[in-house]
Amino acid sequence: MKAQTLRRIAPYLFLFPSLLLLVAFVYAPAVENMVYSLFSWSSVRTDSRFVGFDNYRELFANPIFWRSLVNNVLYAVISIVFQVFFALVLAAVLVAGVFGPLLRNLFRTAFFLPSILPVTVVGLLWQLIYQPTIGLIDQVLWATGLQGLSHVWLGEEATVMISVILVSQWQWTGYMIVLFMVAIQAIPNDLYEALRMEGANRIQQFFHITMPGVRESTLILAIITIFGAFKVFDIVWVMTAGGPNNASEVLGTHMYRSAFRNDVSGYAAAVATVIFFITLAVGIIQIRLQRQD
Amino acid sequence: MEKLTRLTETAPERASRYGTLALFWVFAIVSIYPMIWLTFSSFKSSSEMFGATWALPQRWRWENYVAAWDYGVSQYLISSVIVTVASTTIIVALASAAAYALVALKLRGRAYLYLAILGGSILPPEVSLLPLFRTVTALGIYNTYWALIVPYVAFGLPFTTFLIRAYMVKIPLELAEAAEMDGAGPFWTFWNIYLPLSRPILASAALISAMRVWNEFIFALTFVESESVKTITIGMMSFANALRGDWAVMMAGMVISVLPIFVVFLVLQRQFIGGLTQGAVK
Repeated sequence: MKAQTLRRIAPYLFLFPSLLLLVAFVYAPAVENMVYSLFSWSSVRTDSRFVGFDNYRELFANPIFWRSLVNNVLYAVISIVFQVFFALVLAAVLVAGVFGPLLRNLFRTAFFLPSILPVTVVGLLWQLIYQPTIGLIDQVLWATGLQGLSHVWLGEEATVMISVILVSQWQWTGYMIVLFMVAIQAIPNDLYEALRMEGANRIQQFFHITMPGVRESTLILAIITIFGAFKVFDIVWVMTAGGPNNASEVLGTHMYRSAFRNDVSGYAAAVATVIFFITLAVGIIQIRLQRQD
Repeated sequence: MEKLTRLTETAPERASRYGTLALFWVFAIVSIYPMIWLTFSSFKSSSEMFGATWALPQRWRWENYVAAWDYGVSQYLISSVIVTVASTTIIVALASAAAYALVALKLRGRAYLYLAILGGSILPPEVSLLPLFRTVTALGIYNTYWALIVPYVAFGLPFTTFLIRAYMVKIPLELAEAAEMDGAGPFWTFWNIYLPLSRPILASAALISAMRVWNEFIFALTFVESESVKTITIGMMSFANALRGDWAVMMAGMVISVLPIFVVFLVLQRQFIGGLTQGAVK
């Protein structure tokens, strides 16, 4: 009898620890966060006051919030260009056998390497590279007589965001190339063979076989890229912490600063809720698009 | 085949092949030169580093590495190893148990249970950060290794379960059924059939989890504050702040912090890329 009961509940015992941890440390906090966003409170004061949607009103009236959102959008757009379009083309060239296998593996490894670096190292390294005068970028500009183009890359409002975004592209484009290579290699070779018989060149092969062949993977990778662009925090925090003058603020850093620096937790929770709904929308679009196929 | 196309290549085709090749070399150099620069600079003196940016070090200054190591990098590394090993072990253990139940056992509402686990992967950590901070404080684990291990496990489970489940689905159910006929319980089947057969994916899953934990940033920034518990990603920030000006030592510290992942990558490159591409998640 007892063995019988054990056998019936055993399957749930296997799942229980995972579900418990997920509920306690992922789902419950996400819900709590939404509740917090309706209150005015801070860690210093113990009292919290229900304020309805006041935090959201304050948020939508705050220019820094809008600036952060615009920066996230910019981040997404540039990431799509580099990590989807650019990566797809480079992956197609690598798979097509334009270079020998040795050279192909060398390029693949070289492109992939930045993605294994910890974000702190990437951020600090590029801070040095962007240093005015002594950094690598300015050294290259001076060496090529282009010193007129020199900027305080991370210190000027006009250049800071783009500089940080490009570091992200440096780190992740190669990673995406490898993912695209896998997707392209899954396309049956005889499709290319057939088109080659008809005298199609590599560019025609790319548009007629590679592009349609990786449509689905491209969609998923694009969604992952957009998802990443709206939850970005670490690289920005390491390199600029959102400065100068909030010029490189993104939603993640805006939330973090509100919560742990300015101690307006209700407001921070409202920002986090906005992040939640944006990423949720992206996730739903992904599921919809995948169903259509 | 390759030879053949090259022999029949026309002049403009050859030009475009060499053009492509040149372009790829430029990309490859942009991709890895910063790392090479980091490595060379870490052996220079600070003045030499900026004065002779492109040159090899005049003398290989290993003392930069000794200084960085003594300055606290060793402690950050120890913390990172502890947190990574503990988190990875627990993640893989729990995820394989969950995946096994989802694949091989009779469950009511299997699809919903799977969704309940998988759903965690669409929640960015930012969304849970603030309440999680309070939970961690309330549990009395703030500023301990557990403040990192527990959230890492919870957030690592969805993807790892997904990965292991996708593999276990391919193990024929007849094996489990035959074992059950012979009177074996679910725990026996899990331990003696499913785990051994899933070894390749367990290795990939462990590798991916380990790398994610090793590189994790926002929780490590928020849930610990003492230098003695900081992991290397966050430790490097305090390290760099303390060493502004002593660039070469700072760069030596950066190289040390990259070295473990780099070695793992070189040794396990195949599993590394294979595992990552199975899941397509950053």
